[in-house]
Amino acid sequence: MARISIFIASILVVLLLASQIAAQDADRIVPYVQARGFNAPALEGWENQSTEEIAQFHFAAAEATIRAAIVAADDPITAAQTDLAEWLRVEVGPPVYSDKVNLADGTWQVLIFDIDAATTASVMARRQEAQVVLISFVERAPDARSMMLTLAQADDSLDAATPEIARALQELAGVDIVQLESTGSIALPSGEWQAYERPGLSAMGMVFGNDSYVALQEGALADLAPLADAWNRTLLGFFITPDNSGYLALGLAAAFIILGLLILSYFWRARTLRQELALLNALAEEGD
Amino acid sequence: MTIELESKPMPLLLRALTIMTVLGFATTLYLGLFAAGTDIQQGDVQRIFYIHMPSFFGAFTAFGLTVLGGVLALARESDKWDKIALAGVEVGLAFALINLLTGSIWARPIWNTWWTWDPRLTSAAVMCLTYAAYLMLRAGIEDANRRRAFMSVYGIFAFVTVLITLFIIRIVPDTIHPVIVGASPQNAQGSFEATSGVVLALLPSMALWLTVMPITLIWHRYRLEERREGLDRLKLKLLSE
Repeated sequence: MARISIFIASILVVLLLASQIAAQDADRIVPYVQARGFNAPALEGWENQSTEEIAQFHFAAAEATIRAAIVAADDPITAAQTDLAEWLRVEVGPPVYSDKVNLADGTWQVLIFDIDAATTASVMARRQEAQVVLISFVERAPDARSMMLTLAQADDSLDAATPEIARALQELAGVDIVQLESTGSIALPSGEWQAYERPGLSAMGMVFGNDSYVALQEGALADLAPLADAWNRTLLGFFITPDNSGYLALGLAAAFIILGLLILSYFWRARTLRQELALLNALAEEGD
Repeated sequence: MTIELESKPMPLLLRALTIMTVLGFATTLYLGLFAAGTDIQQGDVQRIFYIHMPSFFGAFTAFGLTVLGGVLALARESDKWDKIALAGVEVGLAFALINLLTGSIWARPIWNTWWTWDPRLTSAAVMCLTYAAYLMLRAGIEDANRRRAFMSVYGIFAFVTVLITLFIIRIVPDTIHPVIVGASPQNAQGSFEATSGVVLALLPSMALWLTVMPITLIWHRYRLEERREGLDRLKLKLLSE
């Protein structure tokens, strides 16, 4: 009894020491907002307005909001329109820009909505079975309209997003990139961005994988940088927790079956011993 | 005349250990399935870990008792320790199979495969086969003294496979098997942070599988083996009369 107690106690001490080492790693965890099976990185300096259904962060200085949600729908464009209409309580017309881009987690629809004179929405939408994943950037500053785009790189050997910045400027602002002055690159937490600026218009872009993330704003570069950075971190940090509870059930079933068979074999062998003993008794009685 | 088998009543400590095992198993299952949070990257399947890792350490204890049983059976020519060694192999093999199967099931959604010939997986499979061979070899040796000597040596050397399985991911860097305590190898896939929630669910489970559970099951198996030997002795006695 005493020896078993010492054995158990010593193992517990070792386990406690191991747990202390493991707990030291816990500080490295990136804070995430979890909602309805998906996860979005928490944005520092942004007001957290998340609920159980959505992840939402608001940046009051720029009247900007980043929101992630999953809605039941078949069509990404309709889903984006419906979600924006319910959220902003306005009618949302067709997108002024719509394109598709292939990212690591699937094909996303890139949408820009001009909602009213003060509001622009940039939305990334992706079908997920019978649902649509929506990540939206909405700004409501009439004097600093912003747009966020994800574009496939025209030339993936380049490590600069210049061609995509030029394309976005042309398609959405009707401006040639040569009309803007390059201000070099800006180092942000999300990476190195190439920046262009002229009075009243700024553009930024960074390459990640084979895609370029582009941000445009009718305003100063200094105002655009934190928004582009936050949007990029949200896009790259967003992920869905997989539903694999079936495998958990299978794993538990396997463990229960093996343990059950071991314990059943004890009972079965004990029963066999009793039967053998009964047989011996029967034989002995016959012998008498 | 009624023949009766010599049977000692179940010791109080074994009763207590049995109750502790049942209650502990239910509690650790609750902690792993409900109290610990869902891993946001791996999903619910990560909870398999609360059985997968402790079951290996349960096998470690059981196979460790086989080594102890083997050494003492050889040193003292004791059948009692030989029976403990046998019970250790049976219980350890069941635990090792749980470890292997739950790992394979976890790997399907995380590694996208049921099985890969990774050093850790391969060594775990070799360990299971080595102990399965123990049981087969044992059944094939009729002479009790030879069986005790041969299986004691086998049981001691077989423990090398347990040590290799335990340490291989610390020695061979080219493994995809994650390490929970300490840094994972560079190619490891499916690692997760040992947060306080994980540690709180894992510790009781480890304590249970490492100590109470294998000892209880081995003790019950040992008693069963004692009764079987008693019956064999009885048969011999009746035959000789």
